[in-house]
Amino acid sequence: MISQILGGVMLIYLLAAILFLMAELWSSARLKGLGRVTLWLGLGLHTGALLGRWWASYHLALGHSPAAAWADKLQLIIIQVPLSNFYESLIFFAWCLPALGLLSFRRYLQGYLGALVALLASLLLAYASFGVDSHIKPLMPALKSNWLLIHVVTAFLGYAAFTLAFGTAILYLLQERRPRPSLPPLAQLDSLIYRTTVLGFLMLTLGIATGAVWAETAWGRYWSWDPKETWSLITWFIYAALLHARLLKGWHGRRIAWLAVLGFMAVLFTYFGVSFLLSGLHSYLT
Amino acid sequence: MSATRIHSQPKSWLWGTLTSIRLTVFLLLILAGVAIIGTVLPQNQPPNQYVSRYGEVWGQLLWLGGFTQVYSSPWFLGPISLLAANILACVVHGLPQAIKRVRQPLTVEAALALPERGQVTWPAGVDPQPLIAATLSRELGRCRQATLPGQTVYFLEKGRFRPVGPYLIHIALLLILAGGLIGKFWGVDGKLAIDQGEVAGAFQVGSRVEKPLNFQVRLDKFQVSYYEPGGSPKEFRSDLTFMQDGREVRVTCRVNEPVTFGGLTFYQSSYGTQATGPIRLKVQLGDLSESIEAPLRQPTDLPGGRGQIIPMKVDGNFQGYGPAVLLAFSPGSGHPQVFWILKDRPELGDQPGPYRFTAESIPFGYYSVFQVKHDPGVAWVYAGFLLFLPGLYLAFFRPVERWALVVAKTPKGKWQGRLLGASPRHREEFAARQERLLMELKRGIPS
Repeated sequence: MISQILGGVMLIYLLAAILFLMAELWSSARLKGLGRVTLWLGLGLHTGALLGRWWASYHLALGHSPAAAWADKLQLIIIQVPLSNFYESLIFFAWCLPALGLLSFRRYLQGYLGALVALLASLLLAYASFGVDSHIKPLMPALKSNWLLIHVVTAFLGYAAFTLAFGTAILYLLQERRPRPSLPPLAQLDSLIYRTTVLGFLMLTLGIATGAVWAETAWGRYWSWDPKETWSLITWFIYAALLHARLLKGWHGRRIAWLAVLGFMAVLFTYFGVSFLLSGLHSYLT
Repeated sequence: MSATRIHSQPKSWLWGTLTSIRLTVFLLLILAGVAIIGTVLPQNQPPNQYVSRYGEVWGQLLWLGGFTQVYSSPWFLGPISLLAANILACVVHGLPQAIKRVRQPLTVEAALALPERGQVTWPAGVDPQPLIAATLSRELGRCRQATLPGQTVYFLEKGRFRPVGPYLIHIALLLILAGGLIGKFWGVDGKLAIDQGEVAGAFQVGSRVEKPLNFQVRLDKFQVSYYEPGGSPKEFRSDLTFMQDGREVRVTCRVNEPVTFGGLTFYQSSYGTQATGPIRLKVQLGDLSESIEAPLRQPTDLPGGRGQIIPMKVDGNFQGYGPAVLLAFSPGSGHPQVFWILKDRPELGDQPGPYRFTAESIPFGYYSVFQVKHDPGVAWVYAGFLLFLPGLYLAFFRPVERWALVVAKTPKGKWQGRLLGASPRHREEFAARQERLLMELKRGIPS
């Protein structure tokens, strides 16, 4: 049921992407509005599917460890947040993109950028639906922690913000090479790269810090040089360099855009590369 | 953010280098490179592993060069120490100035010197000042007001504390690095393996050193449970009793729920099963049925003379199916075959060869392994994490904006307002706000 809804959401996002593109090509305000409404609709359904999976996973856990007191139930709800395997993380990543776009960067979410965000969300959902095991499995002992929720949410909001920065950087580089009146002006794109990067940096910092606190309670080590930890630190270094370059050295435009692209490569490796190519403490994600 | 050379005459070459952003970027690049080596090359393996994997020469080079323990090698410790020095120098260099700036709030004189951004003229007659005050407080926040001869100045400053934000972030980083160092020098990190029912008075630090505890600890019971037979593990649970000066404290230690006693914290790390006696097996071969006792890791001849078995290991709760033993069966010739026999579920699993085995009793006991730790650096690291939050907030979400509106009466009785303002780093947001502000101020002027 929930996977069917998510399949529908995937199509709705795809439709939103097409509407945004058409709105741009024919400069139609009506299509633009329609694109945005479609994206909102997709996000609403997506949110419903996430909550539905949360509910299902909570009830599955209730069957394994019955809880009567409301405090125990609340505890169970918190740890059963559907963010405990690769499939669920993909679904949440796909949710973060339109959510961040619509809630935090509403003004910019139109045209090519809107299409890009909707298309990426749709692709992530497609990958999750067709390529990844979607069964709800009971939690392994290491994941039974209140930190799971905050750690994964901050990390993926960070990834999503960096994805927006990457998309904007690509648009910037295209616009610079061959200016098109339909794309946003360079100054606006440049500022958007910066703002999404700042948000992503904040979230990544929180993700690393909450992960460290969790690791300290689970394994007795706040830092173990696990590949996922190390790569998130490398990613953090790259974005720290970007912010320093911009704020101290006055870098703007193309060089910042390339740094945002490089940073996103590190994000991709942290998320996918580490899970598939290197083994470590985060290997339960696959 | 602290790493720029603000002052005009550099004090010395060394200080200039230490406070430079170039050094920071250079070090970050090196650290990233070293970290990549650390994730690609397996770490902390015995030397022969590297030799067999990368060949004699390369394996030796990697081992001797410290790349196999790269995070405790000079390749990593050198740049990270320099980075700490770099950050510290930048903080020392820039923090006093930042504090000085914070302690000098915007004065009327400074406000009047801000660049002009636009003008508004109100017609004579009605005093526009109530409207101005209302508009400013709605759009910008609470303004201060100063009355000078012939003019009134409304002014305000946002993000006054922003200059200290970057320094808080960098002090936070230093705290985290200091925490790591403190943990390395004054922390204790070891392992304690303890059999069920046994009492331990010491734990293992490193590979050889035994460190005494100033109390005793007993593993009363270890349990591993599964969500369902054949499913995934649900819980690893150790019931411990700490004993000190005749006092007994009972606790339960699980993954994600460490326990602390006597200044040391115990983390559930792993567990295992040991056989406590020979395994009794019922062996069937055609009509022949006989019970035998087979000690662990020793070959036992089978009745009927068709081969030998060696019990390889036992498991107290094999995948949630209960006790089990791993048997290696070697027929007279050919390769031995290895398979599990489950005591409570004899029907599960394939058994090769002519024999049928059933486990009658598997005497076993669990042992549990704990990470034992005391790290006085953790508090420093957490303090760093906490300091990050106000630092990031001030540095990135409180942009500096200074505004002033100078209202004066012209000789003809009209009111004239000059909007002044500046925001060094957020030009786009500033321009948008400026436009909106001018529009709002002009609202209600009959044209």
